[in-house]
Amino acid sequence: MNLKFILTMAWYYGVKTIVRGPSYLIASLATPLTLLFLVFVLSHGALVKFAIVGGLIAFVGSVGLSGAGDSAFFRLQLRIQDLYVPSKVSPFDYMAAFTMSYLVFSVPGIVLYIYLGSVYHLFTAYDSLVMVLIMVLLIISTTSISFIISGSIKHLRNIWGITGILTIITSILPPTFYPYSYVPRVFLYIIALSPTTPAAVLAQGAFGLSPQLNIMLYVLIIETAVYAILARILVRWREN
Amino acid sequence: MIQIQGLSKEYGKKQKALDSITQDLDNGIISIIGKNGAGKTTLLRILSTQLKATSGDALIDGLSITGNIRQIRERIVSIPQEAAPIGILTAYEQVFMYLTGKGFSFHSARQESIRALKSVGLSDKMHVPTDELSGGMKRKMFVAMALGSNADTVFLDEPTTGLDPLSRMETWSAIKELTGNVVLTTHYMEEATELSEKIYMMDSGRFIGSGTADQLLYDLKDKVRVESLESMPGSYHVGNMYIKYVNRDDLSKYENVYYSLKKISIEDLFIIRGVDLES
Repeated sequence: MNLKFILTMAWYYGVKTIVRGPSYLIASLATPLTLLFLVFVLSHGALVKFAIVGGLIAFVGSVGLSGAGDSAFFRLQLRIQDLYVPSKVSPFDYMAAFTMSYLVFSVPGIVLYIYLGSVYHLFTAYDSLVMVLIMVLLIISTTSISFIISGSIKHLRNIWGITGILTIITSILPPTFYPYSYVPRVFLYIIALSPTTPAAVLAQGAFGLSPQLNIMLYVLIIETAVYAILARILVRWREN
Repeated sequence: MIQIQGLSKEYGKKQKALDSITQDLDNGIISIIGKNGAGKTTLLRILSTQLKATSGDALIDGLSITGNIRQIRERIVSIPQEAAPIGILTAYEQVFMYLTGKGFSFHSARQESIRALKSVGLSDKMHVPTDELSGGMKRKMFVAMALGSNADTVFLDEPTTGLDPLSRMETWSAIKELTGNVVLTTHYMEEATELSEKIYMMDSGRFIGSGTADQLLYDLKDKVRVESLESMPGSYHVGNMYIKYVNRDDLSKYENVYYSLKKISIEDLFIIRGVDLES
């Protein structure tokens, strides 16, 4: 594992880009915060805690999925991926570097949501620890999905549309901004294909907003592993 | 030394990008020239382990591209065709990041990045986001990556395509700083002559000749190129133009037909080998 490369990319592409291109971070936060506002207004504040927890998940998930655009752009347009193939960077290192960059890039947004959560007395130390674990699994799984998508496309133009659709599907459709108990159980398991679903269910359980459904922890762990393996296969590191 | 042994690359059943190539490539700076679609990029991508060959093998300093991939990847640098920097990051940051990817410690990566960027003439621009650099400066940043990594073999795929003449010259001077073996592809004949000790010609997925520029042009050394809009016996038809190679002594015979004369260059080898002779 090339930890030096992973940390360097996380620093440059995760931290420096926040300072040099803050609009990207603001854009990532815009949809979840808008939905938070809508949920607050429409539910007269009743579901605001769901929207805070869900907004955090939607935000981290959308940052991970936006990696599809970056990784496709790096591979097809900038040819950066080809540059790193003949080096000591493995496909795993490359994907881990992206994942770490997005995790670091998400920190200001996460801090904002932690602040909002503290205003509503939502987070305790133990719950926050659970949330960190969920966030780490979520960023790994969504970044893996982004590599699966970017490795499958041939034309860059397609990636923006696919990413946009996927971000909406994974942010709005799963029970991120509303109680998961509203969703019929069968349908809940179908939409659990999106990592944001088990993440949201687990988070709602951890913060006492809904009953705990611990099976979703296994779902999240297994699908994170499956998506990571698929991403490794489809990353097109050495093309045929 | 690179030894290519029966290397083939097929896309589907009909399209042969490389046609069972066997060729030794010398040490030093060498150029592979050829028209678009000749197979230059495919060959470079296979040699730099980015693309799998359909069959055959190649040895880079005795290491096989099929059996010693990890060792080869540690020893080479490959700058892809039309590689572009991450615009929001500076040249220093990108060279530094690349060198950590090559296994350098943070300390060494820092030292080598600065040294390499200074060597290619980017000392005053190394901390500027690459979006703000000229095309030539961007290419020089990639050459600095190769320079800083001290690679045994560097592959440069069309390093100056799309650059203006001044930027091309800047990039050439940076390439000349490289110390290891350099294999570059180009379709600029002038570039091949300027940079390389030996030139290899490719066409339709095969090598069709090699040598120094003088050796390759030996048969044409006493000739000039006559270009005309009118057909001439034994001329080559290129676009709307007819081209014929004639001895200087016989030039007077063409006074009534020619509209321009040109000095012989490597480009003429492709005209002779790649274009059907007028019947």
